[in-house]
Amino acid sequence: MSDAPDRRERLLNLLAALLETRRGLTRAEIVNNPTLGYPAGAAAARRAFERDKASLRAMGVPLRDTEKDNETRYRVTPSEYYLPALDLSDGELAALHVAVTAIGLGDGAGEGALMKLGGIEGEGAVPIAALPLAESLVPLFEASRRRAVVRFRYRGRERELEPWGLTSKFGNWYVVGLDHGVDDMRVYRANRIEGDVEAGTPRAFVVPADFRADRYLEDQPWQYGGGRPLAVRVLADAGHAAALAARAEPGAVEPVADGSAIVTLQAVNLDTLCSYVVGFLEHAEVLDPPEARAAVVAWLEAIAT
Amino acid sequence: MSRPEAEHQLQRVLAMIPWLASRPGVHKDEVAARFRITRDELERDLGLIMMVGVPPYTPGDYINVYAEGDTVELWLADYFTRPLQLSPSEGLALLAGGRALLAVEGSDPEGPLATALVKLEDALGMSEVVVEFGAPAELAELRRAASAGERVEIDYWSAGRDEVTTRRIDPGPPFFALGRWYSDAYCHLRDEQRMFRVDRIRALRATGERFDPDAAPVPEVLYAPRPGDPRVTLELPAGASWVAESFPAESVEDLPGGGQRVVVAVSEPAWLDRILLRVGTGARVVDPPELRAAGRLAALRVLARYRT
Repeated sequence: MSDAPDRRERLLNLLAALLETRRGLTRAEIVNNPTLGYPAGAAAARRAFERDKASLRAMGVPLRDTEKDNETRYRVTPSEYYLPALDLSDGELAALHVAVTAIGLGDGAGEGALMKLGGIEGEGAVPIAALPLAESLVPLFEASRRRAVVRFRYRGRERELEPWGLTSKFGNWYVVGLDHGVDDMRVYRANRIEGDVEAGTPRAFVVPADFRADRYLEDQPWQYGGGRPLAVRVLADAGHAAALAARAEPGAVEPVADGSAIVTLQAVNLDTLCSYVVGFLEHAEVLDPPEARAAVVAWLEAIAT
Repeated sequence: MSRPEAEHQLQRVLAMIPWLASRPGVHKDEVAARFRITRDELERDLGLIMMVGVPPYTPGDYINVYAEGDTVELWLADYFTRPLQLSPSEGLALLAGGRALLAVEGSDPEGPLATALVKLEDALGMSEVVVEFGAPAELAELRRAASAGERVEIDYWSAGRDEVTTRRIDPGPPFFALGRWYSDAYCHLRDEQRMFRVDRIRALRATGERFDPDAAPVPEVLYAPRPGDPRVTLELPAGASWVAESFPAESVEDLPGGGQRVVVAVSEPAWLDRILLRVGTGARVVDPPELRAAGRLAALRVLARYRT
């Protein structure tokens, strides 16, 4: 279906009228306004108005409808509609342009944002990183900005979370916040959230000033879980020791003469540790304690038989 | 004109109106460049702006535009005085893109990008967004060599063949994708353009030789499996969804009971061995038949180390 130029005029004039009204406009007032030029005939006018409402909302216009005296009145509140003045310099606009072109987020939203901020300044940049945004991140970000509690499904269970912030590490996006179900900080991987994210009312929580979203992600998954940590010594061959040492605490690496090294990992979860160490194939070996070495052997034997 | 196109034009026009009002007499070429449109499209946008008016048509009800010749003057009405608020996805794009670029080592933590992000956060009440890329040991030196056009010699660990080789490369600018830093480089050992993972460069040495960094091809698709790579169908147990999330799987199908059937391109056998051992007993090669024993054989090889 094609849009005649007059539909775009109608949308702009409709938006202007909705911003200008204080008490709100009824559908009858809108479709009977000759300047807006809605089609004659109640059914056609009604369809055209429904389509216009959908277009305005798709553009991000905060169109509100309120019931009063058995009538729906439509209005756009200026304070909700207008972007506050940001006074960005041309240098700052150019820097933002470089950022949204250098970092591939997998959608074109950055360019639309730049136009609102004052047009696209400068040449942009060649992409240097791809960090595709998971679908759930937009509602999570909006809820975090508004300080609204979110509900979503994750690994088959409903979660209720105060989304304090978002973080990306090693190419994945996570939401970090206070989980109401466990009353403790939790990290959820955004692309594993199942279905929609529902947000509650704004200003429902306060984020501590010293909160840093990246502090809750660990590089050492074998430290998760309850129980006493076990100091596990792993011998890694030359060429592989550096990769293993990168996951250990500083000072936990003992170089051996031929370039190999013994790295000590603090493990709570032996299964996770086994999975990690066998990923080195025959280039790494758990030395001790005996129960950790036995766990790796059992892991491999289960696959071999 | 389709509906999204009409919405796109309206969004642009709503952004353009206040900008034009603050720059009386601006040249049309500058407007077109700022808003990424042609002069013809600009004329159409201006034509649309001239049609806006709200009854009862007092002077505050019209936007007035004077756009004869090469310049534009626009006088605001009572509405459209500021652009429309950023949508959630636009706010996220600016903040995530900005925070990510600041996290790339070498970015100026107090430069215009940083000040722009602070202004955005102050005005809009943004959420905390922290991006971390990780910095492999040789990343900074490789980036410098790539931009200066310096040929380097590297010791490179190939995970697929599980061996370290020494080679000379003409490095392309490092690029982050799928959670890793890569460099598309001309490899003088293989005499072809190759993709290298920066964290697998075990050592990097200067050669004193140079190359023309502008002559290197721009990589279009990163880390795409080669068409000739064998496809392997794997069945994975519940809890192993990290495999499909960490590697570019060609298809992922959920199985009853929470497992997955995935098809991946496997260019090197050691990669497959590593996945099979890491997942453990629940992982199974379905196809091709000659690889069904791969996990068992790999486990026996590693067990040999524990039995000596």
